[in-house]
Amino acid sequence: MKCMRNTMKVAKWEIKRNMKNKTFIIGLFLTPLLIVGFMMLGDLFGGSDDAKEELTRVFVNDQLDIFPALQETVDQAGFNWELLQTDLEESQIDEELEKSENTAYVFVDNRALEDGVVPVHTSDEISSFFMNQVQVLETPLQALTMQKLGLSDEELAAVSQGVFFEEANQQDASSPTEGETETTSGADSMEQIVPGAFAGFIMLSIVFTGMAIFQSASQEKKDKIAEIILSSLTPAELMQGKIIGYFVLGLIQSLVSVIILLPFLVWRIDIPVMEYLLVPELALLIGIAILGYLLFASVFVGVGATMADISTAGNFQGMVMMLPFLPFIFIGPVFADPEGLMAQIGTYIPFTSPGVLIMRLSILEEWPWVEIAISLAILAVSVWIFMKLAGKIFKVGILMYGKNATPGEIWKWIRA
Amino acid sequence: MPMETMIKVENLGKSFKDIQVISNISFEVRKGEIMAILGPNGAGKSTTIRNIMGIMYPDEGTITFKSTNNNEIPRHKIGYLPEERGLYKNVKVMDILLYLAELKDYPLDKAKERALSYLKKFDLEGKEKVSVEELSKGMGQKVQFIASIIHEPELLILDEPFSGLDPVSQELFKKEIRNLAENGTAILLSSHQMNLVEEMADRLFMIHRGQKVIYGSMDDVKTQYANFKCTIHGKNERQTLESIADVQRVEQVDDTSVLYLSKDVEPAPWLKSLPEHLLIQELSIDRVSLHEIFIDIATDKNLLQEAGEMHA
Repeated sequence: MKCMRNTMKVAKWEIKRNMKNKTFIIGLFLTPLLIVGFMMLGDLFGGSDDAKEELTRVFVNDQLDIFPALQETVDQAGFNWELLQTDLEESQIDEELEKSENTAYVFVDNRALEDGVVPVHTSDEISSFFMNQVQVLETPLQALTMQKLGLSDEELAAVSQGVFFEEANQQDASSPTEGETETTSGADSMEQIVPGAFAGFIMLSIVFTGMAIFQSASQEKKDKIAEIILSSLTPAELMQGKIIGYFVLGLIQSLVSVIILLPFLVWRIDIPVMEYLLVPELALLIGIAILGYLLFASVFVGVGATMADISTAGNFQGMVMMLPFLPFIFIGPVFADPEGLMAQIGTYIPFTSPGVLIMRLSILEEWPWVEIAISLAILAVSVWIFMKLAGKIFKVGILMYGKNATPGEIWKWIRA
Repeated sequence: MPMETMIKVENLGKSFKDIQVISNISFEVRKGEIMAILGPNGAGKSTTIRNIMGIMYPDEGTITFKSTNNNEIPRHKIGYLPEERGLYKNVKVMDILLYLAELKDYPLDKAKERALSYLKKFDLEGKEKVSVEELSKGMGQKVQFIASIIHEPELLILDEPFSGLDPVSQELFKKEIRNLAENGTAILLSSHQMNLVEEMADRLFMIHRGQKVIYGSMDDVKTQYANFKCTIHGKNERQTLESIADVQRVEQVDDTSVLYLSKDVEPAPWLKSLPEHLLIQELSIDRVSLHEIFIDIATDKNLLQEAGEMHA
């Protein structure tokens, strides 16, 4: 009870000290503002991205009465097109195209059907994706051709179904609702990605703020106040207070970022962010993020106490500081195959598991609950072990003035 | 009436790796007294203090505090000014004082009141909102001292409180330490400045190579250990001086000789016994100071060994 009270006193002090520090306050607001700034900058220079989103007017000179089928195909594809009919001939459109943007003319007639080539004329300014998108109109045109060849409806259905190759695995085979999930996967994935991305952001935000623990752990030594502080509380209380204090500072950083970024994202991104964000899965993802923080914080506070000063950090200490970046090497393999071996390995390594788990859970349609449970257990045990080790290192390290401890010395303290 | 014991250290021992840093250390500090712990660098003073404060844990022995039945250290009742000391740099003076008071469970409003009063007493009035990094070294030392007493400790441990202080500040510290003792605070004072210790301490514990050398009241120590010494200016043979009765040891620098005399020597008869052919331009006789006792111990001279063995 007394221990917790002392821990909270230290935590409160660390929070107060940082909240009164100009550098921290500037960083608090500058971080999200920089993110917003870079997003705006992307829009400023990424003109082509805008074109992609702008409405494309597609005029169809329909000599085959196929316009309704074309309209249906375009609607299904979800293109940002306005499909219109026109009577203009190919020879008449040059002038029209010259004075317009994001406009295309498609000429569907018997000649095109026979030749298998549909003439498409576009304005100078048009989405770079347009010529790829327009290929989707092939399907109704082929259907018309086959209809003209006199195939029955059944034959037509069989031919038009086509053949495609799909990667299959055991899990997919056992899933009877595959068809359903396929059709809803678009909405589902966003529903998962949004909380996942949010949890990932929270974790990175807390962990990066928590990296200040590294400096804070050696602060008492640098300022030669370690003994004065330790005459009032135990090293464990001091250490825990720092971990909790920087956790709260990380949360404050996250909160400020969210308050600044969320309205911006809701405005910029055309999806119901809030609706996707506030789902039960978010609780687990944030739980993983917190465990991740505690793991890194315990390592930082322990190793931080072995340094005379942050500016004198040796190779060993520098390497430890890079630990939070370890999950980044798993980004490629996890996104390529979230069920793959690399993804599973990353899930079970304590230092990568929070990041990898959050990435996997953001893209997997069905959560691997057994893997999640094992991974959380490994993470929780690791947090406990690293807290104990950090406590041992901190206790000795905090009183060692003037030099950095070598890995050999640290090992001796751990064994003591 | 015997004074109440605030802390009792019994048979304290501590080793680092295979080296015994302190061994069999026993002493007590009583309410309202200034007890000095002395010894050369590396003698084990700071280790003893750190063990008392619970910053280190002893391998052997016990430390008992007044009013505690178990071995728990009543940290909130102890004030500590360590030798290696400083303050958080980028915080305001009042903030750090209140934080340290809060760590001692001391009411903050009372702490603020005391902080302002002590800042005034130490000529730091108006500095409470100043950042610590803007203070001079001496001012910082004063703030550290205030921090160690802000919570009205029953036991105050001061490790080299005078180091780096100018004479005016030294006087200020001395006065305040005496005040605290008069008001009942038990003070354990470690210092290398023997003149100050001799002036202030009621009792002393001298430690060398981790072991007790002297322990007793200042008066007793002076009586027991501070033998007479005779300083003679004049060119004399060392052998002649050594042959004089009751001379334990002779030190000569140029034409000045210092004769360290045995215990219980009566100065007047001894002076009469001096050989007539001795060359004496100047002669003075006085007691060995604490400073000399300290130097003797630190340099392993055997001035006190005989007496120490007899009386320690």
